[in-house]
Amino acid sequence: MRRLRRAASTSVFRWTLSIAAGFTAMALLLFGFIYWQTAVHERQKIDRTVVLEAHALMQAPTAEVVSQLAAWLADDPHGVRYAGLFRLDGGHLSGNLQGFPKRLPIDGRAHRAVFKGIDRDHDGDDPEVVRAVAVPVDASRVLVIGYDIDELEDVQDIIRRALMLGLAPTLLLSLAGGTWLAWRAQSRVASVHGAIARIMQGHLSGRLPVQGTGDDLDRLSIAVNGMLDEIERLIEGVRGVSDSIAHDLRTPLTRVRNRLERSREEAMTRDDFQSAADRAIASVDQALAVVSSVLRISAIDHGRRREAFARLDLAEVLTEAVELYEPLAEEKGVTLRPDIHSGAIVIGDHDMLLEAVGNLLDNAIKFAPVHTAVKLSLTAEVYGLRIRIEDRGPGILPGERDRVLQRFYRSERSRSVPGSGLGLSLVASVMALHGFRLEIGDTAPGCIIDVHCTPAMPWILRNLQDGHPIRKIDPT
Amino acid sequence: MSRMLLIEDDVETVDEVAGYFRSRGYEVECVTNGPDGLTQASVGRADVLVVDRMLPGLDGLAILGTLRRNEIHTPALVLSALSEIDDRVRGLRAGGDDYLGKPFALSELAARIEALLRRPVSSAQTLLRVGPLELNLITHTARRGGRILELLPRELRLLEYMMRRVGQTVTRTMLFEDVWSYNFPPRSNLVDVHMGRLRRKLDWNCEEELISNVRGVGFVLKSPS
Repeated sequence: MRRLRRAASTSVFRWTLSIAAGFTAMALLLFGFIYWQTAVHERQKIDRTVVLEAHALMQAPTAEVVSQLAAWLADDPHGVRYAGLFRLDGGHLSGNLQGFPKRLPIDGRAHRAVFKGIDRDHDGDDPEVVRAVAVPVDASRVLVIGYDIDELEDVQDIIRRALMLGLAPTLLLSLAGGTWLAWRAQSRVASVHGAIARIMQGHLSGRLPVQGTGDDLDRLSIAVNGMLDEIERLIEGVRGVSDSIAHDLRTPLTRVRNRLERSREEAMTRDDFQSAADRAIASVDQALAVVSSVLRISAIDHGRRREAFARLDLAEVLTEAVELYEPLAEEKGVTLRPDIHSGAIVIGDHDMLLEAVGNLLDNAIKFAPVHTAVKLSLTAEVYGLRIRIEDRGPGILPGERDRVLQRFYRSERSRSVPGSGLGLSLVASVMALHGFRLEIGDTAPGCIIDVHCTPAMPWILRNLQDGHPIRKIDPT
Repeated sequence: MSRMLLIEDDVETVDEVAGYFRSRGYEVECVTNGPDGLTQASVGRADVLVVDRMLPGLDGLAILGTLRRNEIHTPALVLSALSEIDDRVRGLRAGGDDYLGKPFALSELAARIEALLRRPVSSAQTLLRVGPLELNLITHTARRGGRILELLPRELRLLEYMMRRVGQTVTRTMLFEDVWSYNFPPRSNLVDVHMGRLRRKLDWNCEEELISNVRGVGFVLKSPS
């Protein structure tokens, strides 16, 4: 009952009520017009005809009234005419009216009259209803002329009944429909309220109910659910990140502490102390690097750094990255094999892209086995440019490919190699800031990382696809 | 003895920096607000200024702007908690000669102050000599004694940078910023690897080591005495 009462107070219900009221008013107007057309207008027409006909008959010489009357009655294909000539005392003289209609004033104007007459309508004993006029012919006789209006009255009846039959269900239906709609909306809103309350209590995985009808409430719920997904992802991320930061800081800090403690007890010489201090500084630097990386990724994520965006040649960035990392690869016994064509203009931040590509190269070199090659290529695709970095290392398992982009995530296979678990997430942030798409694949064994970039000028792409690399860059 | 004027309102930073530099033989004068800083700097006794950006009374960049307009060109390093590239560029444009984001390692600050105090006298010089090393910037050739060094362009620039700062400790960040012109933190051992390559080419085998590591800080090119 409370629910129904609440439903009645909803906006849906109020709209339904006002729409029902509007429909009723329209129907009343329409019926009113039809009724007026038939009942009033038609009757007036008949009344005028009756009066006119009566006066026309009166124009005939007194002696010919009876014959004129007979002629008039005979000229009646629809069988609607009634006439009678009566004495003043009511005695029948002529015509198809057997008796003087009751209470018909003899005033030359049309009135409704009812009498028992010839059963032309074959409606049994029903009295005939006519519009009739009574006029005195002379001092002793009265002429009565009438038109049958049975049909007219029938039509009026039908209209009235139609009005009743149509209006009542319309009202009932709209009331019922409104109530149902309002109740339904009410119960959906109630379930949404419930879901929101649960989410606010901390059940972040809760979602608004979606019916699958695709209506506006559904679409709203889907949008809100999308927002909740993102919020949950961020909160989970923050949670994970703060745990990971704490963990990643605790390890080097504990190491520092232990070293300092040991050196205080064991160090005998100035050199001993210095080397202990040096190692402590190295550990602290490691901790600081973690914090700086986290802050840097946050800065990139917040898009604060899009001011430095400019038109740049991706090929130049890649060539610089190769130059920067070539000695590292050489030291590791890995060959860098670039395949870069210039003329790939994008909008971006040179330093950030260089840092990101550098991180990818750094990873590839780190994981590549000795005497293998790390390939770096820049090619034109159908919808953009593609940077591909390929190594022959252990690769990234399909199940881990999303997670390696999260901060601090370190895959099982990378645990033996030093790193903070932040390199790839910095790459992901930089590429996201640029609107570039990162894709991790496999060469079994080995890892392929593709970055799909949007070129600043599409015609560049056409040029590249047509096989006109503008110029090939010599890696040296 | 070098004189440093430190204009900084954070007491802890002042204590830390002043103590560190005094122990290294500097004469350090500390001022904790903008207007006094400008007055002290205008007197012109200091050899180097260390100016914080956010100061009570007068912003650090405003101080530098006023000094430079008054033709006072004491080398200055701007300190700031705002370490984004834009702030760095703005700091340098306002008349700072170097810029260091907070928090910083004291050794990094020391290396930069030293660099400011012993700025390369003439960058127009095209033939550099340090002991047996000779670098011709016109022909892009380098030799150690009679041996010609096969250096890549970047290695030439690295060598030039080191040769212009003989005896000075340069940090990895300084190298990354000045030789590569990159404004992001260098990854782990990237600079070391490049430097290692240059050093191998310089020292060939068994020759006296010219560039050496300064533990925890960076590198130094020593002039053989």
